[in-house]
Amino acid sequence: MAAPIVQLRELTKVYAHGEIEVVALNRITLDIAGGEFVALMGPSGSGKSTLLHLIAGIDRPTTGQCWVADTDVGALTETQLAEWRTRCIGFVFQTFNLIPVLTAFENVELPLLLTNLSPRERREHVTAALELVELGDRMRHLPRQLSGGQEQRVAIARSLVTDPTLLIADEPTGNLDAHSATEVLTLLQSLNRQMGKTVIMVTHDPKAAAFAGRTVHLEKGELLNGNG
Amino acid sequence: MTIPGFIIRNALRNKRRLTLTVLSVAVSLFLLTVLLTALRLIVNPPTTDQSALRIVVRHRVSLANVLPEKYQYRIERMPGVQYCSKFTWFGGIYRDQASSNFAQFAVDPAVFFKIFPEAVVDPRQQEAFSKDRSACIVGVKLMERFGWKLGDRLVLKAGVWPCDADLTIRAVYHSSQIEETDLFFRHDYFDELMGQRGVVGTFWIKAAQAEDIPGLITRIDAAFRNTDAETKTETERAFQLGFISMIGNVRMFIGSICTVIVFTMLLVTASTMAMAIRERLREISVLKALGFTGRMIFSLILAESCGLSLAGGFLGVFGAKLLAETLDIYKLSHGFLPMFPMTADILAVGMLVALLLGIVSSLAPAYASLKTSVVTGLTELD
Repeated sequence: MAAPIVQLRELTKVYAHGEIEVVALNRITLDIAGGEFVALMGPSGSGKSTLLHLIAGIDRPTTGQCWVADTDVGALTETQLAEWRTRCIGFVFQTFNLIPVLTAFENVELPLLLTNLSPRERREHVTAALELVELGDRMRHLPRQLSGGQEQRVAIARSLVTDPTLLIADEPTGNLDAHSATEVLTLLQSLNRQMGKTVIMVTHDPKAAAFAGRTVHLEKGELLNGNG
Repeated sequence: MTIPGFIIRNALRNKRRLTLTVLSVAVSLFLLTVLLTALRLIVNPPTTDQSALRIVVRHRVSLANVLPEKYQYRIERMPGVQYCSKFTWFGGIYRDQASSNFAQFAVDPAVFFKIFPEAVVDPRQQEAFSKDRSACIVGVKLMERFGWKLGDRLVLKAGVWPCDADLTIRAVYHSSQIEETDLFFRHDYFDELMGQRGVVGTFWIKAAQAEDIPGLITRIDAAFRNTDAETKTETERAFQLGFISMIGNVRMFIGSICTVIVFTMLLVTASTMAMAIRERLREISVLKALGFTGRMIFSLILAESCGLSLAGGFLGVFGAKLLAETLDIYKLSHGFLPMFPMTADILAVGMLVALLLGIVSSLAPAYASLKTSVVTGLTELD
């Protein structure tokens, strides 16, 4: 097995709602190796999205440590985290979250505006990413001119375009019909198998989880199968 | 795509709201620059090199009190006085009250053009003016306003003084520096109409040099102290400002309107930006998740807000300038505003207000978007 790219140690997240404290994650310890495709499963409120947010560095743990690609994510400042996300994390959301006024090409190009790439290099990267998700002929389309499945593939292209260390997908098929869902999951699987991308996907659908190489179950903020 | 391109796309996403907001800023800044120009004209009338040499002698009590004609002889002999002319406001009625809002003065024809060299007159017309006792000289804009021609006769009926002036237009003056909207006729004709009472409204003096003016003012007032008609001598500028102050605190009045306009604009643009950012909270969270830092997000919002208000500002400010240059403001204002110079400093103030408006109105929504965590932004509107 490859060296762990994600190392979670005693990771706890507690949300305070006034005087009431809700434990979303309780002392999670988990390793994910580079090149793995891991599905995080669990019922609603089990803490799977919270865990994903902590790994992606868009939320901070209450206690414990979260190491991703040799970086202690919890120790970074907000600005460092933002820069780190550009480099290391590719996001795929349930609701696609494309910018409606930008074309597919421009949506994919968005993360590259934060890099030092020239316009020509950006164009090459974006074209390659869109062709990878088989949307080379839809570059000039606005999100509203695309189907749900195509929108999600654009979102995947956007997450890939910076060549991140880790691909994070939060219920990527939650808003798709069965056919589109299969297309997207197949794409994530091929990215993992053919390009060696490490993918962590949150889902509550066992069929979607079947595309992953390993499934980690969460319930009430705790891992059911221990340190997976 | 570039970052500025991204900002423009965001700004253009709701075209109706954008248009209405830009227009509201444009109209407000149009009004603001027009009011600022009017305010400047009123409280800070344009001066020339020549106007800096002119001083005015009037009755100490008020402009409504007259001075004896004989003062002129003493004033003319004071050191530092180059020229001195009687200068009496006639205030006659031409046709009806509404058409009479132009200034009419009785002056000494021999020295008038020396005191006001900014008034450019054809030498033959000037000669005709000095030869005909009932002649008058009229500013070119006033000629155009009433469609007068050289040789036309006009009657100014008794207004302030108990006599009618039956005048013939013998000369027209042009000027780029003083108002071209006044009428001047000969003081000896006025004296004749008044039965040689020997009264004068004011004396206008041209000093030999600016350094002489403070001493001259002191000497003139001292010379007529403890007489029946004590004088108040002041520079042309001080005289004009004193005249303006008689119609109340114009500066405060117009200043208050300007403040209300700016405040209203602030509310409009702040509200628009707040709505625009609120609608995009999720997208802003996505941008943060993609790696955009707080400073970048702030810059995007700030640039969009400033762009919006600067676009409105440009339309309003330069629209006002264009209108001021193409329209005949003198005719439109029925003679109230003889000129309307919208200068670079006023245009700059207008654009600066637009810029400040953009900055201030973006602060609250930018702060709110920065304070919202990525997770909250992504999940709140699900």
